[in-house]
Amino acid sequence: MADFVQLVILGLLAGGVYVAVGVGFGLVWGVLNIVNLAHGALVIVGGYLTWQLFTTLHLDPFLTLPVDAVALFVFGYALQRGVINRIIRAPLLFTFLLTFGLNLIVVNMLLLIFGSDFRSVTPSYSGQGLELGSIVIPYVRLISLGVAIALSASLAFVLNRTRTGLAINAIAADRDAAQLVGIDLRHAYAVTYGLGAACAGVAGGLIAMIQAITPTAGEPYTLQAFVVVILGGLGRVSATVVGGLAFGLVEAFGQSIPGSGSVFANAIAFSLMVLVLVTRPQGLLGRLR
Amino acid sequence: MLAMAVVAVVACGGSESGGNTTGSTITLGAPLGLTGSLTKESTLTQQGYNLWLDWINARGGIVVNGVKHPVKIKYYDDTSSANQSAVLMQKLITEDKANFLLGPYGSAATATDAAIAEQNQIPMVEANGAAQSIFNQGYKYTFGVLSPANKYLQGVIDMAATLNPKPTTIAMLSADDNFSLEVANAINTYAPTKGMNVVLFKKYKNGATNLAAEVQAAKAVNPDIVLNSGHLTEAIAINKAAKEQKLNAKIFAYSVGPSTPDFITALGADANFVYDGSQWTPQVKYTPAFYLTVAQYVAAYKAKYPSLGDPDYHVAESTAACLALERAIENAGSLDPKKVRDALAALDVTVFFGQIKFDSRGINIYKPMVVEQIQSGVHHTVFPADVADAQPMYPTPAWDQR
Repeated sequence: MADFVQLVILGLLAGGVYVAVGVGFGLVWGVLNIVNLAHGALVIVGGYLTWQLFTTLHLDPFLTLPVDAVALFVFGYALQRGVINRIIRAPLLFTFLLTFGLNLIVVNMLLLIFGSDFRSVTPSYSGQGLELGSIVIPYVRLISLGVAIALSASLAFVLNRTRTGLAINAIAADRDAAQLVGIDLRHAYAVTYGLGAACAGVAGGLIAMIQAITPTAGEPYTLQAFVVVILGGLGRVSATVVGGLAFGLVEAFGQSIPGSGSVFANAIAFSLMVLVLVTRPQGLLGRLR
Repeated sequence: MLAMAVVAVVACGGSESGGNTTGSTITLGAPLGLTGSLTKESTLTQQGYNLWLDWINARGGIVVNGVKHPVKIKYYDDTSSANQSAVLMQKLITEDKANFLLGPYGSAATATDAAIAEQNQIPMVEANGAAQSIFNQGYKYTFGVLSPANKYLQGVIDMAATLNPKPTTIAMLSADDNFSLEVANAINTYAPTKGMNVVLFKKYKNGATNLAAEVQAAKAVNPDIVLNSGHLTEAIAINKAAKEQKLNAKIFAYSVGPSTPDFITALGADANFVYDGSQWTPQVKYTPAFYLTVAQYVAAYKAKYPSLGDPDYHVAESTAACLALERAIENAGSLDPKKVRDALAALDVTVFFGQIKFDSRGINIYKPMVVEQIQSGVHHTVFPADVADAQPMYPTPAWDQR
């Protein structure tokens, strides 16, 4: 029983990271209709920012997260405004090509700057945790889950309660009508992508504390974000939260199957995704559009 | 001062050369992953090759029947792709007219390149592909100077058998790639012969970064020894998860990863007490028949790469591959690929890296692996006792008592 509870906790905690990675990806996909293949690379940029601030300025890694968010927002805004906006109305294949290319450029820039060494942020409290009987809850992962939930809540607040957010929602609903009522499309697009990148940056900061990163470490996260968003459903932040936590749980239980079960953890998650697509195409909580 | 000593050594090393006339340049070909995911290890491999290249050319080249042949190594970047590596290997043979081949980095690329060497009947001496699957194909032209995969963690088991209280239970975690599974499966059969039992064997996906559930499964069986057969990424992930989830064992040993400086910089004090199986360490004591002693080798490396610290085993084994090829060419007294192949097959020589001798498949099963332990942030060789520079710190203290 204790093992089962521990596994559920570990799955939910791992899910926190997937939530953080997924919300930005889901926002960009839902509003801009871009499957952002550079998302994982942006995540790792955030990871390196946290690592750099931690090693040179000895900042607490959690305090570097706002820096990651602001820096990545600016980078994402400029990227959308200067580059991606040019093909925003082109067929889907072009956005795939462009974001894949951006991914390659960012990864190779990181390789040039940081080399291929493995880096990890290990603060003094790393590895410590809350012990409840035989159950352990690691602090870093617990706070990471908290950060991911807070990140999602603030994103939902921005989208639903602010003028900019309402403009973004309006574009997602009907691009042409939004333009007719005077919404500046180019600016709103750039803000959306910037917000997505900022979420990626925060996720990267969390990941740098949990695992070792290299410039190529982001690629699996693009794929995971894709699954998380489909599981939860497009168009709602809360849906991504559910999708991320579900993905973490599925992974944990997949890995705990005796023998070679762990090898199939990803396959199980993807099968679940297919199942959801077949039975509930809008996702577990998504809105039909 | 160090640099001067090295120069003196290099000058002395030239005394055994016989020839005075200079012959044609020998071209060696090597595809390496100078960009992409294997950049780190490939760069170390290249450093090992270049250290020997400087030394041999300072002596005037390889002596074949009294004639000195200068040496050139032609490198291509295979972008860490095994398929690309094979394409470039073929290019090295047909376009660059490479006389002999040096291996790429990693078992995957070595396997694809071995097929090319075989088709063209050009000897390839490699130092970075340990999977036995490469050598079970019946190839005649591929030679590996390093200990094969099945030896990687056997040293740890041998060491554990000498410790008191003797550990008896093992939790084995393994990535699902060829090399890692060979390492792990060898332990499944070897441990019982030393009175130990593998009570948990768990495969995970190669490259996994979240291994919390695997560590939890290991914790459930409360093992004396936690073994991981994988790579640096997974070794770091397991060590982090072990601390977070309070998995305590008497021995934590990982096949690949802890020997690199990255393991210590990424984990800090949490890297302490971890063991690994290593092909070579700067502390080993072998008496070389030619080239440098271990101490001279370390000094030569530091003189050429002053900012990088001690050479790790990737560098040393790569240099050893060059030495094997050099000695085989000298013994063959010819640049004919067939004759050099036969000389490689008959080679038996000890250098700073250890004994180099190939079994009928072409892999070096004669050199033992050594066991390293990280103690207070520094690598120490702890087994076998005759080459060790420190005692194992055993048992590993519980996480909350460090």
